[in-house]
Amino acid sequence: MKPLLSKTTKPFIIYVLIVLTISIPVYYLVVDTIWRTQLDEHNEIVVEEVSYRFNQAKMSEEELQKALNLWSKIQPEANIKPTDKSDLLKDSLYTTTKNAPYLEEVEDRFRVFSTIIYLNEKPYRINVETNIEESHSTVISIAITTFFLFVILVIGLLILNKRLSEIIWKSFKNNLEKLKAFNLNHQTAINFEQTDINEFNELNQSLSKLIDHNISAFKTQKEFTENASHELQTPLAILKNKLDILLQSEDLTEKQYHIAEEMNRALMRSARINKNLLFLAKIENSQFEHSENFCLDILLEQTIDGFQDYFKDKGIVLYTDIQPEIEIKGNKSLAESLISNLLINAIRHTLPRKNITINLSKSSLEITNSGEKSLNTNLLFKRFSRSSADNTGSGLGLAIVHEICKSQNWNVHYHFENQMHIFSVKF
Amino acid sequence: MMGILMKSKIKVLFFYLISCSLNLLKIVFLTLQNEIAETMKILIIEDEKELSKSIVEYLSGENYLCETAWTFQDAMGKIQSYEYDCIVLDITLPDGNGLRILEELKKENKQDGVIIISAKNSLEDKIAGLQIGADDYLTKPFHLAELSARIFSIIRRKQFENSNVIQQNEIKIDLVSKAVFINETEIFLTKKEFDLLTYFIGNKNKVISKSNLAEHLSGDFADMLDNHDFVYAHVKNLKKKLNEAGCEPYLKTVYGTGYKWEND
Repeated sequence: MKPLLSKTTKPFIIYVLIVLTISIPVYYLVVDTIWRTQLDEHNEIVVEEVSYRFNQAKMSEEELQKALNLWSKIQPEANIKPTDKSDLLKDSLYTTTKNAPYLEEVEDRFRVFSTIIYLNEKPYRINVETNIEESHSTVISIAITTFFLFVILVIGLLILNKRLSEIIWKSFKNNLEKLKAFNLNHQTAINFEQTDINEFNELNQSLSKLIDHNISAFKTQKEFTENASHELQTPLAILKNKLDILLQSEDLTEKQYHIAEEMNRALMRSARINKNLLFLAKIENSQFEHSENFCLDILLEQTIDGFQDYFKDKGIVLYTDIQPEIEIKGNKSLAESLISNLLINAIRHTLPRKNITINLSKSSLEITNSGEKSLNTNLLFKRFSRSSADNTGSGLGLAIVHEICKSQNWNVHYHFENQMHIFSVKF
Repeated sequence: MMGILMKSKIKVLFFYLISCSLNLLKIVFLTLQNEIAETMKILIIEDEKELSKSIVEYLSGENYLCETAWTFQDAMGKIQSYEYDCIVLDITLPDGNGLRILEELKKENKQDGVIIISAKNSLEDKIAGLQIGADDYLTKPFHLAELSARIFSIIRRKQFENSNVIQQNEIKIDLVSKAVFINETEIFLTKKEFDLLTYFIGNKNKVISKSNLAEHLSGDFADMLDNHDFVYAHVKNLKKKLNEAGCEPYLKTVYGTGYKWEND
């Protein structure tokens, strides 16, 4: 994963590099062509001017020959010679290289225009040469210039990009932070920062819509659970009371009594599931906001005390190691529910006459019970995911534990060690 | 034709006379009963008719005279016109909040005991109800025996104010100091045995099942477990202690796992 900036900058720089590299030969060709046409033009003008001036001078044949001789000796860039018989009297344009007579080792490039001029009615061949820059030095100068331009471009691009992105992405980054901090449980919509960039505005609008929709769906779902549970309480109450009345019938047989009792137990189970669902919905609806300092050790002892009958019933041996005076901050009734649910879970899944160990230290509570094999940790804290054959529970106990820990910022952890299930809660 | 019409008229008249005299008899009987056994008047404010019917049926056997109100308006009318020993109040009524009935009672300084029954197991409602002056709070679904035991204890509390003593033949129970005497000799019960004893006395002549007792004895969370064998142990111990102190065997086992406190 790379930041957006480097993603756009890199291909951009590569593109600039390619274009500038291609530009070097192109520039060379263009410059060279312009150079040559200009020189050719210049040479032509020189020829015209020379012939014009010679003819204007109106020299005799003798004077002309003298002048021509002198001319050929002094003028470096034009020589005039009488035509040979073999001369086809044609113009020609070419480039040649030669050494300057005084600098032997340096070769120079020349543009030559060769044509015929008529002096005193006789044809003479005139060659006009003009020095033209060597191709390699042209290429080097262009390349150096281009390289400098490239460096300036890249530096400018990087600085501009950085500055621009800081301005452009500022509101985006702020909004991103807000999105990260968003929690569906708190049910508060996000106020996105206003921006004058169309795309971001559209994004914000879509996000706002999405979040509003989510919040309302989440709320409906939570309200549904709570309402459904409430609505169920009344028919459950009616059933329970009718069973109580049935038990009072004079002519009830023992068999019928036991059927009624079994119905009552099933009813207890549905009431239990309902109660737990309602409790879960309430935790999720943050209806336990109240927070206080309380002694966890005392609460733990009291809660364990409430379960003594069940320990005795199953012949469970209980070992406790509870440190005194452990004060924590949180919701007391949620803490009580957490302990109870862990204890219920331990009691339900411990075989008769086995052990349960409860340890409380300054930072954590550990409830250990003997078991046969490790439980599926992925499903353990999920609603209604039973991991044992015993299905008399509500299937919600550990989900409640998980939800309580989430709401109180505690940490619940399960592991299996030495044939022991260990549930630990870190405060 | 005329003959048949006359016959039916006479029939109607005859039925009317019979029903009138039956009503008269009922009133005389109720008044008599009132004088003999100190009938307690209870108002049940509950919009769910089946629930209301069940409560009336269960309580009617125990010297209670029950009246019902199904709506907020009806309930307001009744509490303003009559005095009750105990009011069973559902706070979610279709035409008003039950807590307002409670407020009205306290405003008029009525001494009626109030027990709130609610489908909401909400701490706020509970605190609000108890703060306004309710005597107890029970969450649906509940056992009728639980309601009956609580009504029993509220009425005791209201009647005897601070000297809160139940006298049942040779048994004397001091609800404040939690002491139990059989023929003036104190017996020592555990908390759970004491709980069971008052529960049975609050549900005289009723069959109470083991699971019902387990729910009563367990705390808020312990009823999540299905094992109820401990009930047997506690009842056995209670029976033994009562027996040894020379108490009559009022507590009977019925249908194998149920219990009944038989006492007239």
